[in-house]
Amino acid sequence: MGSKMKELVEFIVHSIVSQPEEVEVQLEETSKKVQLWLKVAPDDVGKVIGRRGRIVNSIRSLVRVLGTHHSVRVELSID
Amino acid sequence: MENIPNSVEIIAPDLDTAIAQAQEELGVPAKDLEAEIVDDENENTDGGLTIRVRVLMPDKTPALELEEVSVAGCQIISQLLGHMEIEAELSAAYQHSTNDEEDPYLNIDIEGEDLGILIGRRGETMDALQYIARVMLRKKMGRWVNLSIDVSGYKNHREQQLRRLAHRMAQQVTQFGRPISLEPMLAYERRIIHMTLQDNPGVRTESSGDGNHRHVTITPDTIR
Repeated sequence: MGSKMKELVEFIVHSIVSQPEEVEVQLEETSKKVQLWLKVAPDDVGKVIGRRGRIVNSIRSLVRVLGTHHSVRVELSID
Repeated sequence: MENIPNSVEIIAPDLDTAIAQAQEELGVPAKDLEAEIVDDENENTDGGLTIRVRVLMPDKTPALELEEVSVAGCQIISQLLGHMEIEAELSAAYQHSTNDEEDPYLNIDIEGEDLGILIGRRGETMDALQYIARVMLRKKMGRWVNLSIDVSGYKNHREQQLRRLAHRMAQQVTQFGRPISLEPMLAYERRIIHMTLQDNPGVRTESSGDGNHRHVTITPDTIR
């Protein structure tokens, strides 16, 4: 399940940063919870967070749809 | 279209005059033209200075560009939905704003079965999808697009609901002479409340609070 979530995050983040080759998503998964760590180039951190965290919170909402579907909790943190 | 040249050379006293002249010759609005100064120190027969300007037609007509944006918007959304394991049908249409200054709204409707999960609590997930799609579309097209997403007619339904709520609360505010604060709402929802009550002489509306707590307060307008 976690890999699907990872793909979704990568798909979104790749298309909004200026250095997609620096994007890295790490995954830690148990049966009840998926933890994702997102790493981007220093110059792109602001872009993935957004004003008042609006972008990262929106990404969290979308990943949560997959989580709800498969009854797992998801957490997305920025490294 | 075939007989229209895609660039013209114009000699004029200044750039603005040249563009205005090109607009007339090419029949394309000035904002869509690109001008390039070929020679900026031309002396005319009276000894005055003129410039020689080459004005280029845009590669794409505005209508073609709109079509391209709408296709790109649908593509981004269907890719996002694919990654989210959601099956749905998309339809896109432009809605032109009442004043011509503003860009038209690109409305994309998402229809399918059991899409409640995509709407989320009070439309929050749908709002997130709309925001992410806007950011991705801006990056792809190089300009901001007024993209609006609706899922299974939710926005329309919610709008009716909010209008009824606004009228009911305004009536209570005037009746009891005390302000009422509504629950926190998304930006477009607060706008519906403000618009619904803007012509109601008995009340004023105001938004306050930050982020997820931002809400509308309806107060009696006693000054009148």
